[in-house]
Amino acid sequence: MTAVIELDGVGKRYWQLQEQAMLLKSLIPGRGTKKVERWALRDINFSVNAGETVGILGHNGAGKTTLLRMLAGVSRPSEGRIRIAGRIAPLISVGVGFHQEMSGRENVLVNGMLLGLSRRQIDARFDEIVAFAELTEFIDTPVKFYSSGMFMRLGFSVAVHVDPEVMLVDEVLAVGDVAFQLKCFDRMRHLQSQGTTILFVSHSMHAIRLLCPRAVLIRKGRLEFDGSAEAAIARHHELLSVDPRDLTEVAEVTTSDERSNGSVSITSRLLESADGPTHHPAPGDLVRYRVGLRFNRPVDSPHFVFHVTSEQGIPCYSMQTRIGQDWRRFAAGDETEIDVSFHARLGGGTYRLTVTVADRFGRDVLLNDPTGVVMYLAPRLGSGGFADLEADISASDTDLTQHAPLLIASRGEPPEMLPR
Amino acid sequence: MAETAPATRILELTNRPDSRRVWLAHLRQHMDVLAILARKDFQVRYKRASLGVTWAVAVPLLQASIMAVVFSRVVRAGVGPGYGIYIMSGIIPFSYFSSVLGSGVTSIVDGAAFTDKVWFPRILLAIVPVISNLVGLLVTLVVLVAAMPLLGVNYGLRLLLLVPATLLLVAFAGSLTLVLSALNVYFRDVKFLVMASLMVWMYVTPIIYPITFLKRIEFVAVANPLTGVVTVFHMATVGSRGPWVAPLLVTLSVTAVLLVIGAEAHRRYDRLFVDLL
Repeated sequence: MTAVIELDGVGKRYWQLQEQAMLLKSLIPGRGTKKVERWALRDINFSVNAGETVGILGHNGAGKTTLLRMLAGVSRPSEGRIRIAGRIAPLISVGVGFHQEMSGRENVLVNGMLLGLSRRQIDARFDEIVAFAELTEFIDTPVKFYSSGMFMRLGFSVAVHVDPEVMLVDEVLAVGDVAFQLKCFDRMRHLQSQGTTILFVSHSMHAIRLLCPRAVLIRKGRLEFDGSAEAAIARHHELLSVDPRDLTEVAEVTTSDERSNGSVSITSRLLESADGPTHHPAPGDLVRYRVGLRFNRPVDSPHFVFHVTSEQGIPCYSMQTRIGQDWRRFAAGDETEIDVSFHARLGGGTYRLTVTVADRFGRDVLLNDPTGVVMYLAPRLGSGGFADLEADISASDTDLTQHAPLLIASRGEPPEMLPR
Repeated sequence: MAETAPATRILELTNRPDSRRVWLAHLRQHMDVLAILARKDFQVRYKRASLGVTWAVAVPLLQASIMAVVFSRVVRAGVGPGYGIYIMSGIIPFSYFSSVLGSGVTSIVDGAAFTDKVWFPRILLAIVPVISNLVGLLVTLVVLVAAMPLLGVNYGLRLLLLVPATLLLVAFAGSLTLVLSALNVYFRDVKFLVMASLMVWMYVTPIIYPITFLKRIEFVAVANPLTGVVTVFHMATVGSRGPWVAPLLVTLSVTAVLLVIGAEAHRRYDRLFVDLL
C-alpha cells in the first residue's frame, strides 16, 4: 500500500484582521493594521492509502473545509507539509470553480483542463459528462442562469469523469434531488471500485456509513479521532452530548430562521433524558423534549404536532394534540412550553425532532420549526433500520429432533449459548 | 509488455512558495486555459452589445475626433498638419492601456469565486485583459493607418515602427497590471487610485499636445513611462517630433523593473491571495 495523501504536522493560520488593511495607514510607521492570530487547523497528521475512502467528520467550523481546500492546493498550509501523489479532483462546496459568464460547454472545457485533462480527452468524454448531469438542453446557456442544482450536477459530473486519482468531496451530495443523489452515490461507489482515493466530508452520518470504512474526526482544528467510521461517528456524537457549548449552540440556532408568519416564535429548545440535557440518549430511554414558545399575537387554543424525522427526511413518527379542543386563549406576549415525553425506541441513526404550531382547527400553520433538535441513537448491536423492535433472533440446530434453540442474539446482547 | 507507469504528479504543499522552475512549469501547463479565458473575456465584453466589437474601435476613435476638434479649433493647441492622426496615435494606445488596467487591477479579486475551488496560477487572471484587449487595439490601429491619407499624412517605412510600439505598450501595460493586481488584493484602495491617476495621466502624456507644451513641468512627462510608448507610436505615424531617447529609456527600464516585481509577487504570494479574498 502506498500513501497517496500524507499530512505531516499540517496547520493553517488565519489572521483575523481587526480592520481591513488600509494603504495609507500601513504607510505610516507604527500604525500597522491590528491582527489576531487564529489557527483553523493545527498539528494534523494522517495519511491515506491508494484506493481508500475516508470520511471527514466534525462540527461546523471544526476545520473540515479548510483541510479540503489545502488538499486541493487552493490554499497553502501555514506549517507542516502535505504530499499528494496523483491527479486530484476537488469538489468543494456548491459550485466548482465555474465561470459565471461562460456557458456550460465552455465551463466543462476549462474545468476539465484545470483538472488536468487535455482538450482531446475532454472532447471524448463531453457527451457522457453532459448526459450524466442531465443538462443536454442547457449546455450552451451561461451557467449564471443555472439553478444551484444544475450547477452542482455539472460540477459533480465533470469531477467524476476526469478519472481523478484522488477525489475530494465536500458535502455536495446534499444538493440535487434524491434521484440525482443516488446516481452520485453509485458513481462514487464505481470510482471506489476503480481504486480512486476519496476524501468525503459530510454531515450525513448515513452517507459516511455507506461509503467510508474509515473516518477521521476533526474537532476545533485538531485531529480528534482516526479509525473506523462507526467508531468515529460514535465519538462525534459522544462529543456532541458532553460538550455543553455544542448543546447551547444547537439551542441558539433557533429563533431567526424558523419558518413562521411571525405569530409564534421559539424561545428555547431542550432535549433531556434522566441524566440531564443530551443529544445522545440510550436506545429505549425515556426522553423529554421541551420547546418554549412566545405568542406574538392572540391565539386561541393552538394545536401542536411533534415530528421525528430521519436524516434522509423520512417521517418516522408524529403525535399531535386534539384538533378543535378549546383549552386556552393566549394573548400577545404570552409564553408557553410544549412538553413531549417519549421512548427513544428507534433504530441507530440521526433524527430530527421538530414541532408545528397551528391554529385551533389545524388549518393555519403558525410555526413550522425546520431546525428543531438533533438526536443521535447508537444502534443496538446487530440491529438496523428505523424501528427498535427489540427482536430476538434465534436459529435452531439443524438437528430438529433436539428442539433446542442453540444460538440466541437478544436485544443487542452478544450471542450466547442458552442452556437447555 | 513492460508497464509504462504514467508519470504520477506529485504535489508538495508547504508554506514556502513554489520554486521558479515549478512555477514556470505551472504557467506552461495552463497556457490553454489562459487562451480560453482571454477569448471568453473578449466575447463577454461585446456579446450583449448589438454592434459587438465595433465598440472597441468606435469609442477611442470618437474620443480622438472630439479631442482633435476641441483642441485644434477651440483651444488652438494644434501642432500643425496631421494633428488628427497625432491625437489618434496617442489616444489608441492610451485607451488600450486604461482598459487593461481597469479590468486587470481588480482581476484577482474579481476572480475569487472562480479560483477558490480549483487551483491555477492566479497571475493568468491578470494577463487575461492584456490579451483580450489586443483585438480591439489591432483593429483600431488598422483603422488609424487607413485614415492617414485622409487626414493628410503620407505612408512611409516608419509605419513598421508600429510593431515595436505595440509590443512596448503591451509589455508596459502588462507589467504594471501584474504589480497592481497583486497589490489590490492587500489594499483595495489601489483600484480607486488607479482610476484617479488615469484621469491625470492622460494630460502628462503627449497625447493632445507634445510634451514641450507642458513647459515647466515637462520633466513629469519625461519621467512618465507612457511617454516613451506614445512617442514610438508618434514616430510610426506622424514622424519624430522632439526627444525620444530619454522617454524610451525610461519606459524600458520601468517596464523591466515592474515585470520582475510583478512576476515575483505573484509567484510568492499566489497561494496567500486566497486567504485575503
